[in-house]
Amino acid sequence: MRLARFLTRFWADRPLALKGLVVVALPLAILLVSLSLLFQASHAEEEAEDDVRRAFAVQRDTYQVHALLAEAAAGVRGYVLTRQARFLEPYRKAEADLPPTFERLDGVIRDAEIRNRFERIRTLAVRKREGLHAIVELADARTANAHNTSEIEAALVANKIVLDAMRQEIDRIQVRENTLLDQRLRRVEEVRNRFLFLTAISAVVGLLGSLAAVYLFSTGIVRRIGNLEDNAERLAQGEALTELPQDADEIGRLAQRLVRASALLRGREQALRESEERFRLVIEEVRDYGIFALDPTGVVTSWNLGAERIKGWTAPEILGQHFSRFYPDETRDFLPARMLQRARERGTVEDEGWRLRKDGSRFWANVVITSLHDDNGQVRGFAKVTRDMTERRRTEEALRMAREDAIAANLAKSEFLSRTSHELRTPMSAILGFGQLLELDEETLSPSHRAAVQQIMKAGRHLLALINDLLDISSIEAGATDMSIEAVDLDDVVQEVHALAAPIVATGGLSFQLEVAEPGLIAQADRRRLIQVLLNLIANAAKYNRSGTCVRLAYGRNGEDIRIEVEDDGEGIDPSAASRLFTPFDRLGQQSKTRVEGTGLGLALSKRLVESMNGQIGYEAPAKGARFWFTLPGVQPAQMQQKD
Amino acid sequence: MPGPLIRPEDLVSRRILVIDDEEANVLLLTTLLKREGYTDVHGITDPSRAMQAFIDLSPDLVLLDLMMPEVDGFQLLEAFGRHERADEYRPVLVLTADTTLQARRRALSLGAKDFVAKPFDVIEVALRISNLLETRLLYERLRQPSP
Repeated sequence: MRLARFLTRFWADRPLALKGLVVVALPLAILLVSLSLLFQASHAEEEAEDDVRRAFAVQRDTYQVHALLAEAAAGVRGYVLTRQARFLEPYRKAEADLPPTFERLDGVIRDAEIRNRFERIRTLAVRKREGLHAIVELADARTANAHNTSEIEAALVANKIVLDAMRQEIDRIQVRENTLLDQRLRRVEEVRNRFLFLTAISAVVGLLGSLAAVYLFSTGIVRRIGNLEDNAERLAQGEALTELPQDADEIGRLAQRLVRASALLRGREQALRESEERFRLVIEEVRDYGIFALDPTGVVTSWNLGAERIKGWTAPEILGQHFSRFYPDETRDFLPARMLQRARERGTVEDEGWRLRKDGSRFWANVVITSLHDDNGQVRGFAKVTRDMTERRRTEEALRMAREDAIAANLAKSEFLSRTSHELRTPMSAILGFGQLLELDEETLSPSHRAAVQQIMKAGRHLLALINDLLDISSIEAGATDMSIEAVDLDDVVQEVHALAAPIVATGGLSFQLEVAEPGLIAQADRRRLIQVLLNLIANAAKYNRSGTCVRLAYGRNGEDIRIEVEDDGEGIDPSAASRLFTPFDRLGQQSKTRVEGTGLGLALSKRLVESMNGQIGYEAPAKGARFWFTLPGVQPAQMQQKD
Repeated sequence: MPGPLIRPEDLVSRRILVIDDEEANVLLLTTLLKREGYTDVHGITDPSRAMQAFIDLSPDLVLLDLMMPEVDGFQLLEAFGRHERADEYRPVLVLTADTTLQARRRALSLGAKDFVAKPFDVIEVALRISNLLETRLLYERLRQPSP
């Protein structure tokens, strides 16, 4: 059983060429074997018949020998008695015929026993002929001498004995030949029967061989090709394939390829189905966008959750309805048709406008319609994506109003500052103006009035400075200050500042040192405000430097920025107070200690100005004195050239 | 031998109109001008009457405040411009507590000849006034046929 299975498998695994060869060669081989058997049988029969013929020839020729000698002996006897020559005829015939007869027999005899006897016969025949010859000679001699009659009689008797001995031998040969003939006839019979049997066997084997070939062909090729065809048909229909044995020949490989192709196709189909399913689920679950499909006439064919949420209809309620019902009365007659027409022409169309919900309420929608085409380019429908923009529109509106409010508030603030400035300056104008007039005529005043006028002027100027700084800070913080940031030549600005500040520095009995690390630097700044900051820092350095000898102004490049330092060699600043330097009105107790004039707003104002020019300001303590620094964005010379 | 082009006595007789809604400021300026020797100085504190006074008095110089109720200095500057003959040089000196760049630019572009921020230095204002009057005088002389 196992062997059968092994053979079946072995056969199935052979290549088709071998199978074809086997199928064709097997019946041929069987036929060939049958033919050779037939040939052998007929050859054997021929041989047997030959043997029979030979046996007959031996019998005939031995009789012939006997007959010739017997007749010769009879003739010789007649001659002896009659002396008539005609009686010698048989003797002469025997003399002539015997040698060729013996010759023939010699060539025919195969059997050893017969040959033995044949040799004896030949010897006897020679003796007989010699005896006869002697008798004939005696008879001839008697003619001349009539005394030899007894001799002749003795010779005749002896001759007769020889013939008898020969007859016995011949009889034995005949008996032997008869036995042999019987044997040979039986053998012929046997061979004929075997031949008949072999013919029948050949026929049966040939038939079986053909059947086997057909069977092999059928199992090996035809049936399997039929199975393959079935599987190919199943593949075309998309059904599962029948399992086929995994044979190693061409058909088996083809079957395996089919199986693999089927698996691939199924895998792809599955992936496609899953992808479509996922996509469908995603679309259906999208809640922020109404996504639905229209047929070419505008009838709704699919509906997602987002559409339900935005528009209010559930899928069963809206499927099969025309999408123009989403449009309010004023646009329903023309807009839906126009949208579809444009989508047809351009592929996609976007619109923003009022749409209707199921309950009749309106919402502001953003709508995108995209036409969907089949393989031939025919429009097979539309995809429509709707977003509810009502909230965004509301937010935009709120934002716009907030922005307007902010602008209005800013304007109001600027207006307030401008008014405050005017309201504060106008009385100051009268106070300082009249005070100055009094100072001009001070020779007419009494000394006490003169001192009073001086105090009024001093307080008035301080108040004015305070008002100016305060308004500056306020306007910077309100964003009401207009900075005109431009490329500013630092060398130029510093020269101007040096000229302006030199008298202030000189008043303190200090020297004014200028250190230019790199000439030709350009900063991004508001020129007027930069000068204001520099003057403020230099005035501070000059004012508070009671023990030192100089004020130093230095500037140079610091990376992309420009760094400017104002330094003095005075008492410096208490490190614990340094953090409060830029706080408005915090004068670190200077007013009581040193009686230096100031509003307490200078550094605070400078800080705001520097920062609004995109720079930084700070303080650091050198070995002796105080150092204020600030940075401004630099301009690369290359950028300047590009500007030119 | 020709004398100086303008003598001080030619200036002080010129008519000056001061327009400011603050009485103290009008008083300050008129006091200053009288102290400088000017004899024909007029002050107006009601801006609504300013245009009429300008027409009636036809001053040689106007000292004008900008921020005033009802009619502000910019409107008056425009009105003066409309009233003025094209070849007339009648200087207006703007004196204002509004120190913003915009205000300065706007006033100057509307025809103001000079601009001083309040509070001001009285001596500086007196000098600017005499300068403006000098210019006006020279202008007048150029227009008169030479004797």
